[in-house]
Amino acid sequence: VSQLLHSGQLSMGPLVFQRGCQTRALHSTDAEVQTVSTAVSSTQTEPQDHVTEQLLQHEEPEPPGLRDFLRQVEDRVIKELVKNARSHAFDGYQVNWEDQSQLVSCRHRLQHPSAQERSLHVTSVSWSCTGSVIACAYGRIDEGDWGTEKSHVCTWNLDRRGLNPKQPDLVIDVPTTVTALSFHPNQPSLIAGGLYTGEVVVWDTSHTQDPVMAQTGMSADSHREPVYQVDWVPLQKRGEFGVLSASSGGRVLLWTLDPDQGGFVLSAGYALVRQQVPHSSRSNYKARGSSHVGVTALALSPWDSDIFLVGSEGGLLLKCSFSSQTLAAAPSEGQSVTLRAPAVFSFRPRNSPIHSIHCSPFHRNLFLSVGTDGLAHLHSLLQTNPLLSVRVSDSYVFDVRWSPTRPLVFAAATGQGVVQIFDLGRRSLRPAATIDQGGANQAATCLAFNSQNPHLLAVGKTDGTVNIWHLSADLTEQSPRETVQLELMAREVAE
Amino acid sequence: MASEVEETLKRIEGQRGVVGTVVCNADGIPIRSSLDGVATAQYARLLRKLTVMAKSAVRDIDPQNDLTFLRLRSQKCEIMVGLENEFLVIVIQNLHQ
Repeated sequence: VSQLLHSGQLSMGPLVFQRGCQTRALHSTDAEVQTVSTAVSSTQTEPQDHVTEQLLQHEEPEPPGLRDFLRQVEDRVIKELVKNARSHAFDGYQVNWEDQSQLVSCRHRLQHPSAQERSLHVTSVSWSCTGSVIACAYGRIDEGDWGTEKSHVCTWNLDRRGLNPKQPDLVIDVPTTVTALSFHPNQPSLIAGGLYTGEVVVWDTSHTQDPVMAQTGMSADSHREPVYQVDWVPLQKRGEFGVLSASSGGRVLLWTLDPDQGGFVLSAGYALVRQQVPHSSRSNYKARGSSHVGVTALALSPWDSDIFLVGSEGGLLLKCSFSSQTLAAAPSEGQSVTLRAPAVFSFRPRNSPIHSIHCSPFHRNLFLSVGTDGLAHLHSLLQTNPLLSVRVSDSYVFDVRWSPTRPLVFAAATGQGVVQIFDLGRRSLRPAATIDQGGANQAATCLAFNSQNPHLLAVGKTDGTVNIWHLSADLTEQSPRETVQLELMAREVAE
Repeated sequence: MASEVEETLKRIEGQRGVVGTVVCNADGIPIRSSLDGVATAQYARLLRKLTVMAKSAVRDIDPQNDLTFLRLRSQKCEIMVGLENEFLVIVIQNLHQ
């Protein structure tokens, strides 16, 4: 066998390597799941009946020992209850843990220099709902053509550090005299004001550039005479308030704020006309002068949202109703709502203008009224004649307010510049305290209690100052029997 | 059976001037009450705290002694707490007309 070497060409190509790799075996499995049975359920709460809800149902098992416990303790408890009911140990025992301050002192004397230079009077003061800001309105409403003078509304925040009594925190310039002012009961930045020209304005103090939020302007709907009182009235919808304004033209108008147009919409109007005033049998009031009843005082009742009280320049004191349907006998002047006659009851009229009325925050039937005759009359809503008349001063009395904490105490601002505080619980009818800043011939025109901080009383005077007084403890601390005494007073029948 | 508990509570509530009654167990949780939920929770929580303090005060002074009754008189009403076996009964009595 011959092996032939094949001498061919030995071709050598590029070096090529080959490698391979492989993972170890992967284990994988498949499985399937399927529900065998399903159930669906849902829950929902039911409306709860709050009024008569016992804390726990009686079907619950009684905790062990409860019965024995009650059996043992019952006698002791009943004995103590009976003993307490019969005990005289604490009769007349009154204790007060708070610091007693015996003095009435002046905390601040607030002034606006520009108003002082022009001898403007303070016409109205109002505290904000938070109790820390006091607003006052300047103007003059005495003889002459003062009504067209420019005036201001100034606010001071008393809780601020660095309070400068001579410089208000905010000054709003108003083209005419402001005759009435009222802070919104819930929103601390809104103030409603009534002007000498008959306009009603709401300012928003949080907009410093242009505080005017809404104004009635001079339309057919608005008043023609000075607006002497503005008040915020709760409307049907909870939380909303409208502005009630009363003017000496005999109109009481209810405005609602229109958020779209930024103005007021007249929602209801009432006109008081002499012929439609109900005459009580014992009054011998003779009608004289013009037929309209110029309203100078207005008060809302915190107890009955349908009632409001009106006092007039002629001395009439009327109870009025918002829901009255009688049409007013006043000539229509193109108003957008029909005017109604609201008066339902007439109290004994006086011979002189009534400047202020205030309903008691503690008794639904009582209210006070003061006027130029220098007397404060305590009336019950149910009787024509006053229950009590207190001589406040020999001159005019411009404003009266019940104390927000003491049912029997009220304060009255007099034309002599003195504020008299009366306590009806005392035997004598002399004032419990007299606040006299001095400066005779400067009448005190308005006052307001601070409902958040009841020790503070703001008084505005014709010399352009607003004084903030801190009252003593005995004028602000309620004693236990006061509400009872007030109730007894209200039930007396006037002779 | 439950009626005896209810009857006892009714007798207590029928006393002159009683405004409300709350019964709490050893943990201070109200188990019977004639007041609404919020007031009950408030009375139970606050008076339990006070009762525990009063009890420890009495026992610190004399370990053989124990608190049986607590009365709080305020301007508007009187609050009475009766204790026994860790249960509490709180009764509020108002004698002003």
